[in-house]
Amino acid sequence: MSFNRLEADDFVVSADSITAGIFTDSQIPEITTFFTSSTQRTSNSGDYYLNVFSNAATSSLEFAVTYGNELGSGSAAYNLDVDGKSPSSTVYGQYRTLVLGDENADFTFGSITSSDFWAVSMERSRYKESIFPGSTTLLLRGPDGVISLTDNSQVASSVVFNDAGRVFQLVSGSAGTVFTTLESNGYSIDSGSYGLFLPDIATYILNPRALSNDEADGGIGLDATLTSALTATDSPNLNTIFTAITHSNASSFTANSEETITSDFVFVRPRSSQFNYSENPSFISGSTGEVLYPSFINAPTTYITTVGLYNDTNELLAVAKLSKPLEKDFTKEALVRVKLDF
Amino acid sequence: MGYLNNSVVTVDAILTTKGRELLAKNDGTFRITQFALADDEIDYTLYNPSHPSGSAYYGQAIENMPLLEAFPDETQIMKYKLTTLPRGTAKMPILDVGYTNIVIKQGASLAITPQTLNYLGGNQNESSGYTATISDVRLLSTFEGVGIDSAQTNALNVNSTTTLGTNVSATVVGTTINLRATTVNTLFGSNTALYATMTIVGRDSGARLQVPITITKVS
Repeated sequence: MSFNRLEADDFVVSADSITAGIFTDSQIPEITTFFTSSTQRTSNSGDYYLNVFSNAATSSLEFAVTYGNELGSGSAAYNLDVDGKSPSSTVYGQYRTLVLGDENADFTFGSITSSDFWAVSMERSRYKESIFPGSTTLLLRGPDGVISLTDNSQVASSVVFNDAGRVFQLVSGSAGTVFTTLESNGYSIDSGSYGLFLPDIATYILNPRALSNDEADGGIGLDATLTSALTATDSPNLNTIFTAITHSNASSFTANSEETITSDFVFVRPRSSQFNYSENPSFISGSTGEVLYPSFINAPTTYITTVGLYNDTNELLAVAKLSKPLEKDFTKEALVRVKLDF
Repeated sequence: MGYLNNSVVTVDAILTTKGRELLAKNDGTFRITQFALADDEIDYTLYNPSHPSGSAYYGQAIENMPLLEAFPDETQIMKYKLTTLPRGTAKMPILDVGYTNIVIKQGASLAITPQTLNYLGGNQNESSGYTATISDVRLLSTFEGVGIDSAQTNALNVNSTTTLGTNVSATVVGTTINLRATTVNTLFGSNTALYATMTIVGRDSGARLQVPITITKVS
C-alpha cells in the first residue's frame, strides 16, 4: 500500500501574528527618502491625493497623502457656481463615512473637534492586514521645528473602536513611547492630540490644529491653506503635508505591518514496518521486479524525499520536499511536520 | 526552481496546482485525509552495500545530496512512491498491460486491462483500479476508464482533464482503460503517425508504467 490514513490528532491548526517592516523592503521598517510622481501629481487623481514612493521606482509605492475639508476649502471648486464642493470636501466625506460612519459626526482629536484633516493612507500590499500598534514613528517638519509622532497604544488604558476598527490617538513620541514633556498624555497644548491612528484600515488622520501650533505649544507651525473652494486654484495642502514628511533634515517614517497567518500543521508518521520498499525504477533490477540488491530483500533501505498529502480520491493537494533524504528501514520510524500556510 | 538548504532538515511545503483548484472550488474536496511518501530524485545504484568502510557508509552518496524544491505540477512530483510490503519481499509490484508499445490504427479501438505482478502474493488487478494519463488526448476519440463505479471515481473521470498549451492531457481511473484512435486526418498533417505516452499508476501499489502510443494513419 502506498497511502496511509491520517488520524484526527495528526492535524493541528495554529494562528500566529507575524510582524514585519511595512515598507517595500520589509526587513527595514524605516524609510528616509520620499518621492512623488509628476505624472500622478498632474493627473486628475493629483487633485485628491499624492502617491509617495520610497525611491524613484514606481514599484516602491508606500502610501498616499490627502487633505479633507468639510467646507471644501483648500482645493478648487468643481464648479464655480457651487461653493463648498471640491476634492477636499469629497475626501472629507469619504473619510467621515469610512471612519465615523455618520454624516453628522465630526473628527475629534482628544477633546478638539476639527473640520479638516490630513490623512496618510498606507499602500495595501505593504501593510498586509493592519499596522502594528506601537511601531510608528513619523517625523514632521514645519516652519517652527520638528515633531516626532507615535500612537498611544502602549499607554492607553482601554481600546476604543469606531467604524474603522481600533482607534488610538497620535501623540508626541517615538515607537510607542509617549513624550510627556508638554502634556502627560503626549497631546499638544490646547489643540488636542496630533491625530488618530487607525491600524485596521492602515490610516493616520492628522490634526491640522495641533500641527499649526507654535513650538512652545507642541506644534511645528504647519498651516493648512483654507482658501475658499471658489477662489482656490489647486490643492496646496497636499504639497504642505508632503513637504513636512520629506524635509531634508533627518526625514523618517517607521512602522511595522501585522498579519495573522493561519497554519495547518500535518504530522506525518511512517511507522517502522511501513514505506520500506520503493517503486523507484532504480530500486528494481530487471523486468520482473527483483529488488536491486539481495540485501534489500530482508533489510531494505529507502530514502524519503517527498511527502504528498492527498484527499479521499487520491488527488495530490499539497506536497512537501525535505531538504535532504531521510533514511528509512525496518528499524526506523519518522515524524515529519508539514506546515501549510493560508 | 532551486536547491533546498540541506545544512538542516527542513520541510518545504506548497499546494499543488490541483490543490489550488480544489481550494478555489470550495466544494469540500480540498480535505487532506491521507499521505504518501516518495523518493523522487533518489538513484539507488548510488547505494553501496559493499562499501569498504562498512554499513554506516552504504548510503553515503545519497544521504548528503541536495534536493530540488517541490514542483507544483502534481504530475511531476510523487512519481515514485514508497510502499509498505512484508519483510522478505524479493520482487516489487510491477505493472503489466500486455504491451511494451501500443500501436493503434486510425479509428481502431483497444481495451487495456492492467495487472499488477508480484502484489499481495501474486498477480492481480488492484481493487482501487489504475489511473491512466494520456499526454495528448487529441489522439484519441475515446479515452475512458471503466470498472470502478463510485461517485468519487466517476467525478474524477468527468473532471480530470487538464490543458497544457495546445496539447491536452487527460487522466481517467478504472480497472480497464478503453482507447479509440482519432479519425481526424488533419491532426496528422503530412505525417503518417502520431505519438503520445500513457502513464499508468496502480492506485493501491503505487507501481508505475509508461507506455508509448503510436496512432498510424489509414490512407
